[in-house]
Amino acid sequence: MPSAPSKLYSDDVSLLVVTLDTNPFFWSTFSFPFSEFLSHVLAFLNSILLLSQLNQVVVIATGCNSCTYLYDSSSDKSHGSTSGSMPSLYSDLLHNLEVFLARDQQLAKPWGNAAAGGGGAPPSSLLSGSLSMALCYIQRAFRSGPIHPQPRILCLQGSADGPEQYVAIMNSIFSAQHSTVPIDSCYIGSNNSAFLQQASYITGGIYYRPPHLDGLFQYFSTVFATDLHSRAFLRLPKSVGVDFRASCFCHKQTIDMGYVCSVCLSIFCEHHDKCSTCGSVFGQSQSNVASSTNRKRKA
Amino acid sequence: MGKLECSGDASLQNALELVLGYLNQIPSYGHREVLILYSALSTCDPGDLMETIQKCKKSKIRCSVIGLAAEMFICKHLSQETGGTYAVALDESHLKELVLEHAPPPPAIAEYATANLIKMGFPQRAAESAVAICTCHEEARIGGGYTCPRCKVRVCELPTECRICGLTLISSPHLARSYHHLFPIVPFDEVSQTPQNVSSHGFSSDCFGCQQSLLSQGNKPGLSVTCPKCKQHFCLDCDIYIHESLHNCPGCESFRHSNSTATRMV
Repeated sequence: MPSAPSKLYSDDVSLLVVTLDTNPFFWSTFSFPFSEFLSHVLAFLNSILLLSQLNQVVVIATGCNSCTYLYDSSSDKSHGSTSGSMPSLYSDLLHNLEVFLARDQQLAKPWGNAAAGGGGAPPSSLLSGSLSMALCYIQRAFRSGPIHPQPRILCLQGSADGPEQYVAIMNSIFSAQHSTVPIDSCYIGSNNSAFLQQASYITGGIYYRPPHLDGLFQYFSTVFATDLHSRAFLRLPKSVGVDFRASCFCHKQTIDMGYVCSVCLSIFCEHHDKCSTCGSVFGQSQSNVASSTNRKRKA
Repeated sequence: MGKLECSGDASLQNALELVLGYLNQIPSYGHREVLILYSALSTCDPGDLMETIQKCKKSKIRCSVIGLAAEMFICKHLSQETGGTYAVALDESHLKELVLEHAPPPPAIAEYATANLIKMGFPQRAAESAVAICTCHEEARIGGGYTCPRCKVRVCELPTECRICGLTLISSPHLARSYHHLFPIVPFDEVSQTPQNVSSHGFSSDCFGCQQSLLSQGNKPGLSVTCPKCKQHFCLDCDIYIHESLHNCPGCESFRHSNSTATRMV
């Protein structure tokens, strides 16, 4: 007969770390209001906590200029609302979110003009920061003892990918893959996010772009609420292809054919004489592989 | 594995000639290395072994040997001539240690491998329902394959060379795995344990990465480290994790306008 404590810990206990995109540049121009989105998310988080007594939920905000922890269901710092009308999940999260949004906006002020006027694209959210924080938290969960919930990360993202975060996001993805932590992505922006597709593909998570945003809670509860143990026998959305294109180091554009430095592996879109990352001068006498193959074909 | 058995005499020259044949096809920017696990105490060769060693040296192949029996002069000579290492294992754990020493790549010699710009393609992975004829198996395949950006044929796995147009196909995660070496994070500074730190505004009571309390018993500051760029505090476990596995400082990544993001190239 297994002892009572181990019986409580079944296979489907999960630790869900949610990174919530709060980028004001995205939400102000998006057709779906942030308040409605947040109501779907809060209902979903509540349902996760209801699925099992031992489930844990952590929410991290991905802002435009900073990231922070919004809510931790296992921390003892949560204080419910003074009137008792809302559970601590809602009151704490909303309170922390308000504080965070005000601070995030303040951080933008000195650079506000530069951020809005620089380039045509709106600034992206700091996904690399919130992913790094999520992974640090998950490592803490691993350290907590031999019995711990199965962790996973869910990225709720709408902003487009920021090419300047490419290396940091890839580092986070590889670290997640190494610790076997799946990264699920629910992307609600206009075009598919290549970074999140790669993240979910490499770590074994699910990437899904919901077609109808009014039913967002339904997509959350049927696709993203599934714990890792149950995914083995559930039919979940299949991938619609992964965009593995790289972004070049010189212009940050996505390219599907480029030149790679043989020393440091940086990617360029056009031929250079010198690598800007490692400084190696490319040999003039040695022909590269492409031209030697061309010669073979012409012969 | 059941069919492999030992018979005949060991021949270093035959092994090296075989290696020469394979490694000569590697383009000039590649590094050529061979690791020989040798347990015989002699070598029975069809020709002049010294000539083969000179050929290896000319082709810039770095030969290393791990001996399993006793030290042999010819192995020592081979490794010295080609710039490799020679060691003899004393027992099983020593053997494992010697083999794993070869896992990280050796320091590259700049004259041996000239830097080159290699043209590569980054294919997209097709959807699960896509049907195409794949070039490696020459039959119709359903599901995930990759499309060559130049000639648009399907290949099954990466990295590979496109059979039709010869373009090297690779996925960006393959290259991105080594980018953390290009942009390493600085080691964190230890925070001194003086009582002034408790009341100073810079000290936070929680680790920035994992929110674990940095205070030990009695509300005194425990051991913590701080990032010199973003000045955030981390616990020691996060420090180890960040520097060994994650290669990203959460503090630097979470603040857009800190100094670290301004100086990053990518």
